[in-house]
Amino acid sequence: MIWIDLAKLGASLIAIIGVAWLAGRMGLGGDLRIRDADHAKVLANEAIYGFEATEVALDRAGVGALLKDAQGNQMLLRRHGAAWVGRLLDPAMETRLDQGFLTISTGEPGAEKVTLNLGEAAQIWAAGMRRLVRA
Amino acid sequence: MPELPNPVDYAVPAFILLILVEMVWARRNAPEKYEPKDTLSSLSFGLGNSVVGLFAGGAIFASMLWVYQFRLATIPWTWWAWIACFVLDDLAYYWFHRTAHRVRWFWASHVNHHSSQHYNLSTALRQTWTGWLALSFIFRLPLMLVGFHPLMVAFCGGLNLIYQFWFHTEAIKRFPRWFEAVMNTPSHHRVHHATNPRYLDSNYAGVFIIWDRMFGSFVAEVDDEPIRYGIVKQLGTFNLLYSVFHEWIGIAKDVWNAPWKHKLSYMIREPGWSHDGSRDTSDTIKARWREREGLPVE
Ligand SMILES: [Zn+2]
Ligand SMILES: [Zn+2]
Repeated sequence: MIWIDLAKLGASLIAIIGVAWLAGRMGLGGDLRIRDADHAKVLANEAIYGFEATEVALDRAGVGALLKDAQGNQMLLRRHGAAWVGRLLDPAMETRLDQGFLTISTGEPGAEKVTLNLGEAAQIWAAGMRRLVRA
Repeated sequence: MPELPNPVDYAVPAFILLILVEMVWARRNAPEKYEPKDTLSSLSFGLGNSVVGLFAGGAIFASMLWVYQFRLATIPWTWWAWIACFVLDDLAYYWFHRTAHRVRWFWASHVNHHSSQHYNLSTALRQTWTGWLALSFIFRLPLMLVGFHPLMVAFCGGLNLIYQFWFHTEAIKRFPRWFEAVMNTPSHHRVHHATNPRYLDSNYAGVFIIWDRMFGSFVAEVDDEPIRYGIVKQLGTFNLLYSVFHEWIGIAKDVWNAPWKHKLSYMIREPGWSHDGSRDTSDTIKARWREREGLPVE
């Protein structure tokens, strides 16, 4: 009995890895990018319902953005596979500024650090995040 | 009493085949409908679920047999009993599922099925690993008390699960009116997986959508609003173990940190509930949506 179960388990495992590998080979998932500031605003409102961004800093490659609303809340919008994830920034999050690159770590288990290429805006937003820390 | 196999075992090859067919469809029509890492994660959920079933299944079945002792009647193994069992099991599923979305304890297990941001056939196999911990099977116990044999109930539960596979797809738009009126379909279940405020907490049906129509939880799919799938606060990681346990971890943290009189509420209130009202629940999101849309307050 246990051998039958183990054989089924092994076969399933191979099938699963095969299907996922094939999905990659078929080019599924695509390559999502944020087109412009307006697109980022729409995505942000979808990520956290009711978030009305007034300011946007877009990553040069369009794989993420920082957004601010009129109440001073700030959101990190980032690509996750073939989808988007938004998180409100809070003072506990770690940030690092390196020229035009701003790296943010939300501190969530399993989530990687995000580095956004914001160009000149990076300094301003990094300063804004420090103000968030003091608030 | 007949010897009954687990019907799900026999359906698995067909599941895999249909996923491959849908992947070919996606490549032509919308490659972003599948994400390889997400698919790997969802299928691992499915495999893990069946492995856990090998261990927990025996204990759950034993509890079902134990409860069966106290049955009010003994329902025979006849054709009408099978039909009644299938329909009533689906009703029990409806109430399990509705509770699973409204009580955090059960949500912590059921959230596994919802935490993908994609909606395709691989999402259907995204099944929980912690249903035994949540004690989700208690919703089936009334059937044993009525007098259906646990084997019959388990078999009907398997058929129910198999039926629920095929409608996890965006490749099918809608069926003829009579079918959409009675049966759960891709259109109805897309609504169930949606995070758009208008769709939150609706369409809990397994096989028959009539339960949602009867108990007031039915919402029809609107054609001109794109659906966003997943959970209100998206996972943001493909880490499998974190994906399996995140809500249990959340419960543990909240119960630990909460004042004594609120500890229990963090387990049994609706997902997102907090004693200081600092978090969103589906109700607060819906209220915000109604306000923004200028709809009357519910
Ligand atoms: Zn559900
Ligand atoms: Zn589903």
